[in-house]
Amino acid sequence: MQTSTLLLVIAVLAVLAYGLGRQRSIQLVGGPSQIKHLHSLPNYYGLMAAAWAILPGFILLAVWVFLEERIIIQGLMNSLPDSYGQLGSPQMNLTLAKIQNISSGSLSASADPQLTAAAELLQQLRDRSQLFKVILTIGTTLVGALIGWVMTRPALRARPQFEFVLKSLLLLCSTIAIFTTVGIILSVLFESIRFFQAIPFFDFVFGLQWSPQIAIRADQVGSSGAFGAIPLFVGTLMIAAIALIVAVPIGLMSAVYLAEYAKPRVRNIIKPLLEVLAGIPTVVYGFFAALTMGPLVRDFFQGIGFDGVSAESALAAGLVMGIMIIPFVSSLSDDVINAVPNSLRDGSYGLGATRSETIRQVVFPAALPGIMGGILLAASRAIGETMIVVMAAGLAANLTANPLEAVTTVTVQIATLLVGDQEFDSPKTLSAFALGLMLFFTTLLLNIVAMAIVKRFREQYD
Amino acid sequence: MTLSNQYTESMDDNAISKPESRHPVLENWDGTVGQALVEEPRMSARSVDVFYGDTQAIDNVSLDIGKNEVLAMIGPSGCGKSTFLRTLNRMNDSIDICRVEGDILLDGEDIYKKHMDVVALRAKVGMVFQKPNPFPKSIYDNVAYGPRIHGLVSRRTELDEVVETALRKAGLWDEIKDRLDKPATGLSGGQQQRLCIARTIAISPEVILMDEPCSALDPIATARIEELIAELSQNYTIAIVTHSMQQAARVSQRTAYFHLGKLIEVGETDHIFTSPSHKLTEDYITGRFG
Repeated sequence: MQTSTLLLVIAVLAVLAYGLGRQRSIQLVGGPSQIKHLHSLPNYYGLMAAAWAILPGFILLAVWVFLEERIIIQGLMNSLPDSYGQLGSPQMNLTLAKIQNISSGSLSASADPQLTAAAELLQQLRDRSQLFKVILTIGTTLVGALIGWVMTRPALRARPQFEFVLKSLLLLCSTIAIFTTVGIILSVLFESIRFFQAIPFFDFVFGLQWSPQIAIRADQVGSSGAFGAIPLFVGTLMIAAIALIVAVPIGLMSAVYLAEYAKPRVRNIIKPLLEVLAGIPTVVYGFFAALTMGPLVRDFFQGIGFDGVSAESALAAGLVMGIMIIPFVSSLSDDVINAVPNSLRDGSYGLGATRSETIRQVVFPAALPGIMGGILLAASRAIGETMIVVMAAGLAANLTANPLEAVTTVTVQIATLLVGDQEFDSPKTLSAFALGLMLFFTTLLLNIVAMAIVKRFREQYD
Repeated sequence: MTLSNQYTESMDDNAISKPESRHPVLENWDGTVGQALVEEPRMSARSVDVFYGDTQAIDNVSLDIGKNEVLAMIGPSGCGKSTFLRTLNRMNDSIDICRVEGDILLDGEDIYKKHMDVVALRAKVGMVFQKPNPFPKSIYDNVAYGPRIHGLVSRRTELDEVVETALRKAGLWDEIKDRLDKPATGLSGGQQQRLCIARTIAISPEVILMDEPCSALDPIATARIEELIAELSQNYTIAIVTHSMQQAARVSQRTAYFHLGKLIEVGETDHIFTSPSHKLTEDYITGRFG
């Protein structure tokens, strides 16, 4: 029986338990007219019974599915002859893969009788596990339902108990995000540690040269392998800063216009149009940056007498990225500005303030925490953006403060490092994880700083 | 005083939704009763009509506000008294569909004339609102807001003086002098409202408009504001809209009674509350409706 079928069975049993529990609670007090003698409404007795049926069975099933394969493999390895036990880990994995392929039939029974026997054993173990899984799960569910049925008494405090069950479930759901984050950090962290075993930590964090090509043979030329992350982070921060310099003023001013000046009709046209910007795929922005903005920037700066401006430049990428994140700033700020109570505006107008004085000195400070939130969101988008930079700013890891030169960013390098065939024992590939980890901490730091700023102002203004 | 104890401030919607059936007087209404005009007016309204879109909110109101007097405007909800108050410093400008006809003069100058500087007007005609609306700034900055935007002071010490004077006049100085840099939103409702009055005084207006300034306050805070109004009336001209007839009787020299956008009766407060000339006024102040 498939796991999904089992889930269905549990669900059906739970529904049954609900009906029975509900009915029993009514019966015990002597009919629907007497339900005032129950502690809670009959529904809650049914829900409690259903919870008893569903939770133990479901948890058992989940644990079983999670551990099943590992236990089977462990059993299989224990049963293999000792000669296999002395093999190293890679060979062991290979052998296991062979056994699994034989048992699933994709590899015809090989000459090695030991492997064939092992494959049969594997099949046997799997069948047995399957059988136990079905019996135990359904059994637990039935026992749970029975407990629920027995526990259904008029004195049972079904409503608070069910509320507790619900609360626990909600808590569980809210922790999933935390566990996922921890999981992601750990997976990146382990690979990074392997990277730092090959490349010293400080060489990575403070190194000024990025050139991740590593010589595979000793006689290869020009592949020294330098893993200094500074050029990448400088590139990232420069492009993000250019993007924010474009997006924050334009976004804020359009938000102020939309919220304070625009007539409803104008607003209803402009606001959706602005939000269309957020819906354009970043690849399309990339075209725009590479084919239109890049040459435009080059021609303009050559026109006013700069030399050696390339078509791929941080400026072009940053400008286009700035346009891309305008809606994040404008839309959120617009909402926040609209949420500032009109009584504040009236108070300011009533003192003879002009509209712009009111906006600058009253509305804006009141809306500041929300506006900061919008800017923060835009900044994270800018730092994480890959596509535009690949197309418009290039791959050359120049350490420069000149926005007219080609630069590259952390995300772009991660993408190029992990594209194509990879060897996972080379620092070249592993460096992607170290970059990812460092980027994660950078954005985390930015977030914390921004939150602290917002909190400071919020305390002052609330 | 003919104020009965049964009078409550709660509003009776019937008075608005079915006016004709209960008060046929309005159908052959023939103008305001009493003395709407005074000899030395600070502000004067002449034949003012106000429309919200197609709805007429104010119908042919002519009324003077004399120098240094407190004029109370009373009337049932929706009678147009707040609308009238807001036309006096053009606060209705921010409502797109609002249209004002007739003349409103401040010291003889038409405030609805072309190229009227609304900013300067509102600096002369300050306003205190129904709900205290301190800015999300410190207490000091709230009071300093007006003087700063109008450039009334040049030095910090001068500004300090203006702020202190305004807070003293509003009777708030002793309570908050030690925490001028604290957020104004942390004050109690009554303190906030007095702060808003201080904020208005700080720009030295000629006229202060108050739109039900005590409706969100408890009786003690209300009493303080009323004392304050009495003190302020020595230097300022005050027009106050109120739902509390006791309040109108306590603070004002003249009272205007509005009904369904029309100014029914104006007169000395004592006179209005003891022997009103108009049937509607009498009905309202004796608590028969409203």
